[in-house]
Amino acid sequence: MAKYNAMTQEWLDAWKEKIATSKEYREIAKNWEGSVAIIVNPDPEKGIPEPIYVFTDYWHGDVRDFLICDKAKAESANFVMSGDFARWKQVAKKEVDSTKALMQGKLKLKGDLTYVVRNIKTVNKVIDLLCEMETIWPDEA
Amino acid sequence: MAYDQDLAFVYFGPTKIVFGAGAARDVDMEMAGLGCRRALVVTDPGVMKAGLVEGVLKALGERCAGVWSDVPQDTGIGVVNRAAAFAREKGADCVVSVGGGSVIDTGKGICILLTEGGGLENFEGIQLLTRPQTPHIVIPTTAGTGSEVTSMAVILDERKGQKILIVEHFNTPRIAILDPKMTEKLPPLLTVSTGMDAMTHAVEALQSIQREPIADGLAMQAIRLLHRCLPVCAQNGADLAARGQVQLAATMAGWAFGNAMVGLVHAMAHSLGAIARVPHGIANGILLPHVMAFNREEAAEGYAMVAEALGVREKGMDELAAAGAAIIEMGAFLRRIGHPLRLSETGTKEEDLVKAAALSLSDGAIVNNPRMVLDEEEVLTVYRAAF
Repeated sequence: MAKYNAMTQEWLDAWKEKIATSKEYREIAKNWEGSVAIIVNPDPEKGIPEPIYVFTDYWHGDVRDFLICDKAKAESANFVMSGDFARWKQVAKKEVDSTKALMQGKLKLKGDLTYVVRNIKTVNKVIDLLCEMETIWPDEA
Repeated sequence: MAYDQDLAFVYFGPTKIVFGAGAARDVDMEMAGLGCRRALVVTDPGVMKAGLVEGVLKALGERCAGVWSDVPQDTGIGVVNRAAAFAREKGADCVVSVGGGSVIDTGKGICILLTEGGGLENFEGIQLLTRPQTPHIVIPTTAGTGSEVTSMAVILDERKGQKILIVEHFNTPRIAILDPKMTEKLPPLLTVSTGMDAMTHAVEALQSIQREPIADGLAMQAIRLLHRCLPVCAQNGADLAARGQVQLAATMAGWAFGNAMVGLVHAMAHSLGAIARVPHGIANGILLPHVMAFNREEAAEGYAMVAEALGVREKGMDELAAAGAAIIEMGAFLRRIGHPLRLSETGTKEEDLVKAAALSLSDGAIVNNPRMVLDEEEVLTVYRAAF
């Protein structure tokens, strides 16, 4: 299985491809519409010298843009989630449940929580597909 | 215990509790202790009419910057924005909320706007704030919501016609003054329905997939106190000792569900509230034993703890049997306190149940339920059992 460096365009493309080709995702996500930005706070000791902005866009089972972007683009998303690198890594490895991480203040969300929770199966499937990838994390490289 | 394998959680409960009959009169000292000088008092017309604000205003004296009493049953962004503008104009540096859940949530919204500026529509989300907010002192006049100790506020977005959720640790009330005299005049039905709201918070915290030992302990004690004292309050509202224990139980249940979350009972009660306008506490109370029966196998461990707290777990009972005993006792308890037992008693029509079942599946609380609910037919079956 190919390995990808986390939070690179190559990694995002591979993640997008996994989601786009998942029949299960297409079925689960048929009600989801809207973009989700991921903001990773800088952590120089873990190999993140600057904030990383990721823009992902989902539309009724389809996937659209998956981009490393600038701050303005990220903040234009329907849902903006931010947090420290270590937290994102825990979520991406399913060591921490994303909903729990939000409620416990480990991650922040700007946007309609109830919409996210209503579509939690979609959120979990996107994370499951990410977990299936072989990711090289900056602090492990 | 099921939670000892991969236990990892955050418990958050920073609110100072001041308890006692007449404690509301100490509001000025508590406010001074926070370093505040001018309080906006937030309340609603019913609480004003009941004369519950007078003592607070007298205690505050010149520390009262103004009173905002225009809080409706379901508060909204517009209400909060107008109240915050009023508070700014009056130079308020803290908020004292005197009332139930809607008043307290209004107070929470005002605190954010006094610190951050702007309109509340910009603060929909979770844990967005990065600094402590304007100090908030809460004096509850009901015993049920637990909002006096939680980080959550539910506010209606009047333009979209839907409620938004704001969850901010930095905006948790600093002080809750639990004065049994403030609940003394609650009529029996409101007493038992708000009490069952608290009972549901405690039971659902114990069954939640996010349950943890601290919340479990608080929930257990809340159930014990409610089981012992809510029937006393229903019989004699003037029993301040029982009133006080029920207030404490509601606050403990607030801490429990504020950390462990709630489940299917709340999802179904929220939906019935939206479709058939059934009051939240009454819907919770009626649905609780039926949802417990639905969850029994998946939540046997938590319900066995409920049975212990209710005093019905007999020696030698396994968890499933104890869960069954808890369910039977919960139904008997509802009868003892004179709580409505059937949804049909609340004006709900059978056709409402179908719509509410569909809506329940999209309620956030459902994700924490121990038994995964994927089909609205399952929810409808529970509604029908409670009808």
